[in-house]
Amino acid sequence: MVKYIAKRFAQSILTLFIIITIVFSLLRLMPDEGYLGAAAEKMSPEQQEIYLTNLGLRDPLLVQLKNFYVNLIQGDLGKSITYRTDVPVLDIIQDKMMYSILFGLGAVALSLLVGVPLGILMAQFKGRWLDRLGTGYIVIVVAVPAMVYFLMIQMYISEWFNLPMLFDEYNPRSFILPLICLALGPIASYAMWMRRYMVDELNKDYIKLARAKGVTERTIMFRHVMRNAFIPMAQYLPATILFTITGSIYIESLFSIPGMGGLLVDAIQRQDNNVVQGLVLVFSSLGIIGLILGDLLMAIVDPRIKLGKGDSVR
Amino acid sequence: MKKTLLALLCMFVLVLAACGDSSDSGETSEYRTVYSGEIKTLNYLKTAETNEFALSANLVEGLIEYDQYGVVKPGLAESWESNEDATVWTFKLRDDVKWVDHEGKDVENVVAQDFVDGLNYVLDAKNESSTAWIATVVKNGDAFYNGEVTDFSQVGIKAIDETTLEYTLEAPTPYFLSMLNYVCFFPVNGEFLAEKGDAFGTTRENILYNGAYILDKFEPQNERVLVKNDEYWDKETVKIDRIRYKYNKEAATVAPELFLRDEIDGALIPTSILDEWLNSDDKKDLVRQNTNNFYTYFYALNFDPQYDAEYEPENWKVAVNNKDFRKSLYHALDRVSAMLTIEPYNPQDLLSNTITPKNFVDVEGVDYTMLEPLKAITETDSFNKDLALEHKEAALAALAGKATFPVKVLLPYNSGSPEWANRSQVVEQQLENLLGADYIDVELYAGPATGFLGEVRRPGKFSMIEANWGPDFADPSTYTDPFTEGGTYNKPEMAEGYNSEYNKLVEAAKAEVNPAVRYELFAKAEAFLIEEAFVIPYAVGGGGYTASKLNPFESQYSPFGVTSEKFKGQSILEKPMSNEEFKSAKEAWEKERAEALANTSN
Repeated sequence: MVKYIAKRFAQSILTLFIIITIVFSLLRLMPDEGYLGAAAEKMSPEQQEIYLTNLGLRDPLLVQLKNFYVNLIQGDLGKSITYRTDVPVLDIIQDKMMYSILFGLGAVALSLLVGVPLGILMAQFKGRWLDRLGTGYIVIVVAVPAMVYFLMIQMYISEWFNLPMLFDEYNPRSFILPLICLALGPIASYAMWMRRYMVDELNKDYIKLARAKGVTERTIMFRHVMRNAFIPMAQYLPATILFTITGSIYIESLFSIPGMGGLLVDAIQRQDNNVVQGLVLVFSSLGIIGLILGDLLMAIVDPRIKLGKGDSVR
Repeated sequence: MKKTLLALLCMFVLVLAACGDSSDSGETSEYRTVYSGEIKTLNYLKTAETNEFALSANLVEGLIEYDQYGVVKPGLAESWESNEDATVWTFKLRDDVKWVDHEGKDVENVVAQDFVDGLNYVLDAKNESSTAWIATVVKNGDAFYNGEVTDFSQVGIKAIDETTLEYTLEAPTPYFLSMLNYVCFFPVNGEFLAEKGDAFGTTRENILYNGAYILDKFEPQNERVLVKNDEYWDKETVKIDRIRYKYNKEAATVAPELFLRDEIDGALIPTSILDEWLNSDDKKDLVRQNTNNFYTYFYALNFDPQYDAEYEPENWKVAVNNKDFRKSLYHALDRVSAMLTIEPYNPQDLLSNTITPKNFVDVEGVDYTMLEPLKAITETDSFNKDLALEHKEAALAALAGKATFPVKVLLPYNSGSPEWANRSQVVEQQLENLLGADYIDVELYAGPATGFLGEVRRPGKFSMIEANWGPDFADPSTYTDPFTEGGTYNKPEMAEGYNSEYNKLVEAAKAEVNPAVRYELFAKAEAFLIEEAFVIPYAVGGGGYTASKLNPFESQYSPFGVTSEKFKGQSILEKPMSNEEFKSAKEAWEKERAEALANTSN
């Protein structure tokens, strides 16, 4: 197990290095105009050159890359250029991460609490009205573009229940609508997968045998079916939780939540190389950690899986 | 972390009892709004972005400001004088102006040295100031910026004593006062700046304030709150106690709704919902037009085409060098139909017949655009079918055997702007219909949304292009930059028979200190540019519609720089101004302005 983790960790470092180097080099291909902002039209070519040289953009690419890695090893991601001038990238990411984690974890908790039981009930009452109702909900959430019902919720639900349209950290009632919006999609997908795995499991021979032996329905459900149905879902749980850090672009912008959603897009649009590099580093690390944790969790919940010999479970 | 804990508590308790509304009532007046473009810095010495000017202007003051009619008024300087040729300017500062910190506590007095320290920072290239280019008007400014001069005492700014400041300029600059409306001439407390280093301007704690407001809260992409500065030297004029900006990425979409719910006091009303507002009894009186700004928009004809052979740049070059051909385009462009893509209700309000907009500068009360020989152009609509067809026939005759008809006209637009794309299609159809497909063939090209100028306009990859320019100081010369030799627009100096005509006129005008003579020479230069149809003036920026409890005619009036962004002097109206009220207020303001200008010899 330890050996396996060490090996995966070494591979991850190499992957990160490749990703960052590629992104770093691509960013250097961006047009100069973006760095100059509103002053581009007014500066003389000489002044523009001096300005860009001072930003370090006129050094050879390898020198820039070397400087970046030297700073990175010292834990310095550099300072923002055009997103929030001179503010350390780490500070920017940290501040925003808090909000996204807060809402993300809230939404994951809410969707597990609602989605999983909903899936279980739908599987139990397959074909009955509850199942149909649940399926209807899932179809609507999947088929209707999310933006449409988010806007509806913000416009109308806020009016009916007299809830604030925008997020305000000092007003607990302003948390309700964004949380609901964030959880709608995951609730549908948890319910859908849970129902599917449960139905698969319920049709297996050992369940029929257990029923024939007179095991109570309750025991069958909780001891056998649910546990086995949850295994495939366990694999993605760590990644889901970790990715709450990245925030939801649309919901955060709709409700004015100062989270990470859209930060990468903003930083790319403003050509803030340092912030983009920092974010890519964070996001790719999250992805890699999520995958590793997912594998480990699978091994824990499913005793049939042994790590290390055939490496990953996939 | 504390905040997160608090928020966590809030979330998991989720008490449904209504929390007390945080807005104060009665005593304090508060202006609330939403915005979608976040600022990147509070470092006013570095930025060149309009939305950052808008904030800085309320926090930090410079030497001068303007009244609501555009007359220069003392700011931190209580008086000033200049020498004969406007190269040396001396300012006497108020002695009671305080720097305060983010809690409103006194730090120090504002002294002449603070202006020297500010300029020193701006002109030091390693600080990457985006407004350094404008500060190079002072003697040796440019030389210091590019490292030829290393001793800052050689640069033309001196603190004679605590309250006397002297600027020495590179050349006669009669409009220097108006340049002081720019952030690069703002003061900074040198000691504080040195102490903060790179962190200066990154948070509300890391700047000092001497303006009408203090930043009480600054949380990017969440909220910022300005509160009145009790130590401000002119605090009686500040009528709004608190200004609250709430961030919302979809501000444009949600603002009208928030305004109707009385959650904010000002919202832009996009044209997409304007119809609904104007046709609804309870909304139509809440919305009014916006004032125009001083960005000038024009179509530029390119004399140095550098695009793919498939669009026949050589053929364009032959055609564009014929005056009749240019004039046919000039008179054929129906600017109103093009403008309808932005302003479906009052398109003519945004049209401009000249490059320099109306109400920009004046001589003894006469607006610059009404000076001879510009007056005739100002008073005539360039769109004229008969003239267009006359010139077309003349061009066909003159260019027979030299150019191939139809002439391909490459008209690029920025694909990131749907309005611009629509407008380009309108212009294409309109020109081809009027002049005939046998004469021109307008080819649209969707340019990149990012880096459009660097990819398309500057390298000359166009025959004709919609371009704009914003002014930097109160002088017509500010509108000549794109067209003088070395400009990056349409290179009129490459036109046949040009003989530096425009440049000579501009140079002569720049050398003249007497405003009456100076402006007349500029008017001549501009009239030449338009008369030759090197450019087709088209519109000014701004406009649009707004629902707002602010009176736009109470704010400081200045076509450039930052004072027009000040809340100082403005008050919150009981109810938003209707468009009828707006129109009559505008009329009254124009009258009062004319009087105010006549009473002051600029």
